[in-house]
Amino acid sequence: MFGYVRPLWEELKVRDWEAYQAAYCGLCHALKEQCGTAARFVLNYDFVFLALLLDDGTGPIIPCKRRCGAHPFRPRHAVSENERAALCARESVILTSYKLADDAADEGFGKAVKSRLARCWLRRGYRKARAALPEFDETVKSCLDALKELEKEKNPSLDRTADAFARLLAAAAPGTGDETVDRPRAQLLYQLGRWIYLADAADDLAEDREKGRYNPIDARFAGRPDLDYVDVTMSHSLALAQSAFQLLPPNRWQAVLENILYLGLPQVQKRAVAGTWHGGRESRQIHERPL
Amino acid sequence: MKDPYSILGVSPGASDNEVKRAYRELARKYHPDNYQDNPLADLAEEKMKEVNEAYDAITRQRSGGEGHQSGGGATYQAQSGYQTQNYQRASADPFFAKVRQCIQAGNVEAAERMLTQEATTKNAEWYFLMGAVCYRRGWLDEARQNYQMAAQMEPGNMEYRQAYAMMSQGGVSYRPSGYRSSASSGCDDCCSAYLCFSCLTPWGGPCC
Repeated sequence: MFGYVRPLWEELKVRDWEAYQAAYCGLCHALKEQCGTAARFVLNYDFVFLALLLDDGTGPIIPCKRRCGAHPFRPRHAVSENERAALCARESVILTSYKLADDAADEGFGKAVKSRLARCWLRRGYRKARAALPEFDETVKSCLDALKELEKEKNPSLDRTADAFARLLAAAAPGTGDETVDRPRAQLLYQLGRWIYLADAADDLAEDREKGRYNPIDARFAGRPDLDYVDVTMSHSLALAQSAFQLLPPNRWQAVLENILYLGLPQVQKRAVAGTWHGGRESRQIHERPL
Repeated sequence: MKDPYSILGVSPGASDNEVKRAYRELARKYHPDNYQDNPLADLAEEKMKEVNEAYDAITRQRSGGEGHQSGGGATYQAQSGYQTQNYQRASADPFFAKVRQCIQAGNVEAAERMLTQEATTKNAEWYFLMGAVCYRRGWLDEARQNYQMAAQMEPGNMEYRQAYAMMSQGGVSYRPSGYRSSASSGCDDCCSAYLCFSCLTPWGGPCC
């Protein structure tokens, strides 16, 4: 996806930061195990959040040291043996594969070729993931088709376009059969999906306008985007996601999840709305400092 | 019933003060004000009830089985109807009363169908209920536009105005301790909501 769902690093406790890093590494290993080496490159923060949210393990987080191609000499801590990480790995491969297909169709020549190559490379992993999660694959396809249709007709509704993406994310949580868990989870992910879609739209606004491309925020305000309004509606989505989160039984990632929901996302939102996000590069530098 | 101490998240050896503090925090968290019109309001109400019962059980236990002096839970339960009354407010029009019932029961599709296909006029109440349908679905932008329309058509109606005001401030949600005085917005809301919270807290005092 886009990598908007991340913690506010400087507010994480050291132990939470280390645990987050280990979960990040763990998801990367899961990607390789489930979908092959190529899949490692789809790793992003959004699905780390999902893996943390869905984790139903109890007891302390026990990472083990593991080597990988990116860190061949110094093994990193990784949380392994997580069934949820396997699920999130597959889901992120499916979603990225569709996104690459879209990019190949929409973008200019240079980017289109890149997307097509990346998609070819990811194809085997995608097939594995699809075989394991045929229903999620169906949902992603139908939601993204609906979204493409809306974007093609230059739909002026923020909610309708965001809805397609939000439904997709809501489908990422497997049902547990317990209404008191499934409903808050679905609402959390739906509102988070809406928030991600709007953050992405706000972030792309300047570029889309320059290139004359469709942008939902531009279309909603008929060319005079009211970003304060967008900010409020995004905050409202966050408020609904947070209130849903509070109804979930706390899991062992509570501190990290709270940091993301209450600090990380508002910070990202501020920068996306102000147009200074640019892929969050500064934050990435902080993250890549060695342990 | 589950162990009341585990519901409040304290050990059985906790002091009265610790129990009270844990209870207050949970009461803040599941407070109906945080879940107004929220599709999950019923789940929050359940939790609130559970927390109240746990607190009552502990205070009863500790005061030797005779009445409980703090009475925190009892006050709250008396208010638990407050949440659900929202869409049950009497509607002069029997048609809109039926739509309200549908929304109340969580049947958003039926309510929308009635509004779009069966309604004869689009008055303020129509827009208000359409806003409620959108809100329940998570379509916050359209909800806001509909509420705004309702509030403009009938400026004297408190229900419409409140709904619109809630949308323009971006909703409310509980912030766990440690995330309250961050640099992000929320201070305003805290102050404006302060009076309201103060009179609704079971201890009748300030909420934070």
